[in-house]
Amino acid sequence: MNYVTAIMACLCAMSWVWTAQARPVSYPGGVTWMQMNDMDSHAVHLHYSPTANYSIGYKGEYFRDEDWQFHGAQFNYLVKRWNKPSVQANLYLKTGAGLAFSDYQSFDDETSLAGFAGIAADWETRRWFTSYENRYVSAGNIDEFFNQKARVGVAPYIGDYGDTHTWLMLQVDHNPSQDDDITFTPLIRVFKGEYLAEAGVSDQGDVLFNWVIRY
Amino acid sequence: MKSLLSTLTIITFLTATAAYATTHAETACEDRIDVTVDGLVCDFCARALEKVFGKRDDVATIKVDLDHAEVMVGMKSGQTMDDATLTQLITDSGYNIRSIERGCDD
Repeated sequence: MNYVTAIMACLCAMSWVWTAQARPVSYPGGVTWMQMNDMDSHAVHLHYSPTANYSIGYKGEYFRDEDWQFHGAQFNYLVKRWNKPSVQANLYLKTGAGLAFSDYQSFDDETSLAGFAGIAADWETRRWFTSYENRYVSAGNIDEFFNQKARVGVAPYIGDYGDTHTWLMLQVDHNPSQDDDITFTPLIRVFKGEYLAEAGVSDQGDVLFNWVIRY
Repeated sequence: MKSLLSTLTIITFLTATAAYATTHAETACEDRIDVTVDGLVCDFCARALEKVFGKRDDVATIKVDLDHAEVMVGMKSGQTMDDATLTQLITDSGYNIRSIERGCDD
């Protein structure tokens, strides 16, 4: 394990304790820690929102299958928000740039410029939730791929402000570069106050586990 | 046993009454602003309201009612907030204002 892997592991461990987010842009002055684990990668994202329209922060991600890491800056921009009496919907642009590291197979401490870009959209009421997100990732000779995912969810009960809220969700991942390119993951989302957690297991047996905290 | 139950009942009633009175006396009518907003559907996201308004020196309390899509802003005694500032703070929190009511209507 090289020092970059060690740093990544520490960040993941720290965010495991501090937990992590849902939306990529917060309120002015808001700080959000997010930590995501799924079938493809383990990721940490710490962002700060100078305004309600965009956020900037650090993104670290370890891609398990291809055994490479990304470390860089991420910029999230709220393109459009729709507020209705009982509905909110959002459209975001998410981009990042940094360095990729790999020591996998033919790569010998390979380092490359890397970046990604994608859109994310969500629509929700107090009972129903749906979202879509995609991402194109380029890491020079190390890796390049496109993936997308969508979610639908339902709240089995409507909680008041301050209650513990629960959502039952189904996530569908599409990874065109993989043999099993469609994956279904039923999951449960629970949040209370500034803390949010999600856990699920995909139809291929992979664990999904996400944490979010907002300061 | 009967007297014990009666005593407990009276204590419970008095405690509940005191708690109700305290809650409703926190903000004087002249310091209260009720804001109805659009988009208030998520508790986790609505935390932004507490964060944004909580930074203000002139705001004493902030209460969120998801059922009625309302935000009750309690100003500190003698403090006021104009509609433009209120609108900006609600927008910064991620929502749109539908209506603003000042004071108490009951």
